[in-house]
Amino acid sequence: MTLNDLKWIPRGLCLGLLAFAIFGPLTNLVLWAVTERWYFPHALPLEYGFTYWAKVFSPRGNATVSLLTSVMIACLTVVVSVGLAIPAGYALARLKLPLRGVILLLLLIPQAFPNLPVYVNIARIFYQFGLNGTILGVVLVHVTHGLVYAVWIATAAFSAVDGELEEAARSIGASAMRTFVDVTLPIAAPGLLASSIFVFLESLDEFTGTYFVGAPDVSTLPLLLYTAGSGGNYQIASITALVLLVPSIAFMFVIEKFLRADVLSKVGR
Amino acid sequence: MPVPFLGLLLVTPALLVVTLLFIVPLASSITGAFDVDGNFGIGNFQKAFELYSSDIVFTIVIVLLSSVLIGLCSIAIGGYLTLGNNPRAVSILKWLYRWPLFIPFIVVGQILRTFLAKNGLMNSMLMESGILTAAQTISFLDWRGIVIAFVWKQTPFVTLLIAGAMASLDRAMIESARNLGASRLRILVEIILPQVLPTLLVGLILSFVTMMSVLSVPLMINAQSPTMITASMAFRINAYGDYGVANALGVISLMTTSVVAWIHLRQTMREHR
Amino acid sequence: MRKVCYPLVALALTTSPVLAEELTVLTAGDQNMVDYVNEYLGPLFESQNPGTTVRAVGTGPGDAGSQKILERFDAQAQANVGTWDADVAVVHEKFAGPMVEKGYLDAYRGDIENGKLATGANSKMALGTNVDGYVMPMFSSQTALAYNPALVPTPPRSYEELATWAKENPKQFGYNGIKGGASGVSFVMGWIYAFAGDADKLMNGPFEEAETAKWSDAFASLKDFTTNATLTPGNAGTLDMLSRGEISMGPVWVDMFYSWKADGKLPPEMKLVLPAPGMPGQPMHYVIPEKSGHKDLAEKFVNLATSPEVQAEGIVKRFNWYPGIDAQLVQSKLDAATWDKLFTDISPEDLAKNGKSFPIAPYNTAILEAYERQVGN
Repeated sequence: MTLNDLKWIPRGLCLGLLAFAIFGPLTNLVLWAVTERWYFPHALPLEYGFTYWAKVFSPRGNATVSLLTSVMIACLTVVVSVGLAIPAGYALARLKLPLRGVILLLLLIPQAFPNLPVYVNIARIFYQFGLNGTILGVVLVHVTHGLVYAVWIATAAFSAVDGELEEAARSIGASAMRTFVDVTLPIAAPGLLASSIFVFLESLDEFTGTYFVGAPDVSTLPLLLYTAGSGGNYQIASITALVLLVPSIAFMFVIEKFLRADVLSKVGR
Repeated sequence: MPVPFLGLLLVTPALLVVTLLFIVPLASSITGAFDVDGNFGIGNFQKAFELYSSDIVFTIVIVLLSSVLIGLCSIAIGGYLTLGNNPRAVSILKWLYRWPLFIPFIVVGQILRTFLAKNGLMNSMLMESGILTAAQTISFLDWRGIVIAFVWKQTPFVTLLIAGAMASLDRAMIESARNLGASRLRILVEIILPQVLPTLLVGLILSFVTMMSVLSVPLMINAQSPTMITASMAFRINAYGDYGVANALGVISLMTTSVVAWIHLRQTMREHR
Repeated sequence: MRKVCYPLVALALTTSPVLAEELTVLTAGDQNMVDYVNEYLGPLFESQNPGTTVRAVGTGPGDAGSQKILERFDAQAQANVGTWDADVAVVHEKFAGPMVEKGYLDAYRGDIENGKLATGANSKMALGTNVDGYVMPMFSSQTALAYNPALVPTPPRSYEELATWAKENPKQFGYNGIKGGASGVSFVMGWIYAFAGDADKLMNGPFEEAETAKWSDAFASLKDFTTNATLTPGNAGTLDMLSRGEISMGPVWVDMFYSWKADGKLPPEMKLVLPAPGMPGQPMHYVIPEKSGHKDLAEKFVNLATSPEVQAEGIVKRFNWYPGIDAQLVQSKLDAATWDKLFTDISPEDLAKNGKSFPIAPYNTAILEAYERQVGN
């Protein structure tokens, strides 16, 4: 037996530890989702069942509609954010722009100021615009947060496009717009898709803005999750979180199909 | 059309959305931070520092520490994904590391609370397997819990970004270094890391910003005092209806993140030119 | 702008156009408050008023939940919205005062039949603010000490006994400070009632600055006490640690305690004790915004919710909460066994003697800030 044959031991050990670190807490989530009774001194649930699943999906609970609304809002948020981020990212990456740093910083602010005292003002402005209780209003609130990721990563994606390709297209007579649509955009597309994962997740996890701008007309699953989660309603919160995993992972899976790794390399340059 | 003008035109829609829907509402918060009984003053900041200076220091230390750990973990994971020799281990790792990305923060708070507690699932599992005895168990529900929660949730985010960057590097240089007998650690530190550093920093800054504004994790995990700025802001508002000090704390938080982001942006702008 | 938005909403299909009358109920508090409206009160109201629908929106537990309702009203008031998007709100006592002072609420109690059944003092004053006519109590909640009889065979009956017990059993008592929710706040208020003087003055006023100087010794002893105690993360955090046996005693909201038990998260043998001289409790109030679009329907709804039948069947029997309206009227609608279940752990006499209210708002603020300076730091 050579030393090489034993190399799997530290490797296996490391992977095992990582698996424990990641799936330990997740096991907790899954266990609580099917727990009926669990308390001291029992290390594992005393009784398993699906009572709380029935509760979450009870007809008046609106969980199914809320889930569909959440997914629709997340998709719209992705479309709007990426739609805004494409021109902005292109300009920030390829054009000479005054105050480039200030603009990037400005787009960071919605994440940088803890939002708690701001929501009341946001809600006021949305009421003035008549956007309260509309899907559009909720989408816009999510977009302000999603743009942080979308613009920063789109900037990277456009930086990664080789300028010579564009020049070649221009030299054979393509218009600027044509060059952008036919050459630049397809090359940058994977990067834009990558940013959409983070925008999607950001939207799917958001609840306070949704409450202030969307409720009572727009009800999303994270709103339900918030009440259950912060009240220590472990079963309901776990079930909701598991349900929310489905669209997240499905979205990730779809995006992976399009993702080209190298675009990620230029983020922030 | 002159190029700077065209550039501004393209950035305008995004800027308009953020300005109208966030910066304008934020303006009343920022002016509110300087509003003491209707007059301009810095009383709210004085009170914020007097009562919450330990919270401010605590927050910055926690978030910086978490950022460093997130950076190290994501470099390690990304490095193995790029340099790993064993295809099976690489694909297991690739499948493994992403899961926490999909768990909302509020649920991260909940599951880590019941996992890391003294009689929580982790210690129960360790006791069942005979690694620990009941007397040796400790609770991690303090600053360590917050750091663990942040690292757990944010590492996949940064890893996802830098693993992509690492994968797109020129393999030729890595291979030739290997042929010259350089260890994988050395290749990672001396060849790969300098090239993905900008990506790593952006990932870390986006994480830093996110962690600074998370409320549910400190609320659900940290019982001790001091706690994080967001928890104190929530307390100021919910217990006293005091937006002045809450906004002052928000401004302090904003300044902290701005300084960090600005240092980074200045550096990249130098490269950009 | 509206013209642009409405077709979009219609397109989205998730918001139904208001054909039937729709009553929107915002409720602070735990998931069970939302469940109460969704599973019990809403269907009952709809069956009595065909063509109406009731929808409940939970805004989250604790003061934060009520604060979010207040902020929603603030935003609509500042934006000069003509018809507000909430018809009934359920808020903590502490937030009824500010809402009345800001003129957000309708004085509806005189208009509803069951208004006269709200006989308690808490339907007139809320932490020192006159709210008479604006509120109807949904139920009364109380804080108490939850303990595990297996670990604590003889629970302390007073704050003095508790202090001694905590010294003998270090780290076995847990509470959530003051930043994590009102059960910890309540414990601190009880401590001040017990060791720093005049509870009646704190609860009823008037506010005198001099009173605040009397607390330093009590806070010093509380700081000392806290070093022997375990701090827990939040109201739910105390129950959470009790559930895993990490602490054996701690202050909890009685209603939360029962719902944790019902959800199988606490050992069924857990018990409650209300130590002398008492701990605060508070009612949850039904309020109706002045600018509700469905005032008549909202009044009908609250009238139903505060009828003796609903208080008996919904509040007491289903949820084991203390009734909001005159207790005798509710008791007469129930069999003795159901009624007695309310008082399994805490006798009616103890509740009457030791069930206090929170201090009036200025004292409340002063005590919390003093705690922050003297104990928390």
